[in-house]
Amino acid sequence: MNAGGARHWILRAALVVAGALAVTSAFGQGVLVDKSEIRFVSKQMGVNVEGRFRKWTANVVFMPSDLAHSKADFDIELASIDLASAESESEVKGAVWFNTAKFPVAHFASSSVKSVGADKYEFTGTLAIKGATRNAVVPVTLRKDAAGNNVAEGTFTVKRLEYKIGEGEWADPSTVADDVAVRVRMVLAPAK
Amino acid sequence: MSVTDPTRYSGFAIALHWLTAVLIVANLLLGLSMVALPISPRKLQWYLWHKWVGITVFLVTCLRVAWRALRPPPPPVAMPRWQQRASAVSHGLLYVLLLAIPVSGWIYSSSTGVQVVYLGVLPLPDLVAKDRELATVLRSVHVALNATLFAVVCVHVAAALRHHFVARDAVLRRMLPLARSR
Repeated sequence: MNAGGARHWILRAALVVAGALAVTSAFGQGVLVDKSEIRFVSKQMGVNVEGRFRKWTANVVFMPSDLAHSKADFDIELASIDLASAESESEVKGAVWFNTAKFPVAHFASSSVKSVGADKYEFTGTLAIKGATRNAVVPVTLRKDAAGNNVAEGTFTVKRLEYKIGEGEWADPSTVADDVAVRVRMVLAPAK
Repeated sequence: MSVTDPTRYSGFAIALHWLTAVLIVANLLLGLSMVALPISPRKLQWYLWHKWVGITVFLVTCLRVAWRALRPPPPPVAMPRWQQRASAVSHGLLYVLLLAIPVSGWIYSSSTGVQVVYLGVLPLPDLVAKDRELATVLRSVHVALNATLFAVVCVHVAAALRHHFVARDAVLRRMLPLARSR
């Protein structure tokens, strides 16, 4: 094999790997990304302020009959945040908030899933943001939508100060509340 | 002068007129200042105050419209017909703007995903869902309506001063708190 052939082979291998990654991120274990969302509501001076993340990847295996092998992993691109204005978006990417230059991704990884009632589950795991890792419990309700997809929805609280999201003049919870309600809605295609 | 002097606006109407004048001038200055501030807790606070003042203007204007129906304003002072028409049109426009501008601000706030909580205690419903493109349009609408209000208020003030100092009639005096009709 000559040098050109080797390069060709490496290129092909890279393309196959990239292709596999793209499929995983787009359809990650059946998550319909376009129908799913990761939203949040923070409270600023007593006022609800909504936002969401535009880009994230999910690897969800949710089998109510086999919770031991069920899991949910999320990588959230923090710079993809959608807030009230471009000005506030660029602000929260800064060092005192998410510091996305140094910590671009928030990561949730479940360690166990248990049933807590009819169609109700709890995903226990860790949430890592801005270099800090904390335990997190995400209660999830499962239902079916009109198209027969499984819709897993859950809201949990992130205490932003535990992750130093908002430092200095922004650390005061009377300006921006410590509790941020994060709502995850995952639409999962039925298993084939 | 009696409380029922038919050539003057009622005391309540006069009070609400000048309250509106103070509120809209203050809120215009607050609005222009707050957008120029860098992001800070102060900026958030000024936005909240701006919304409270705006909603207050809306409520005061509703009250004025209702009061106007109950206690009709004094009959027009003698003036050329074109001036009476211009007066009717500009006053109508002022009422419309005083109602439309706060509502445009409220919808704009909703479209950015920021709730409006009147005086920090009364949450108002979100009129539209968060939508960046809509927000860009609504911001321009809010600014354009305010520019229109500014222009109409300038005409309003100029006309009042002209009536008082040039035509020397009772138009301004009947809206002044302590003046007496002659």
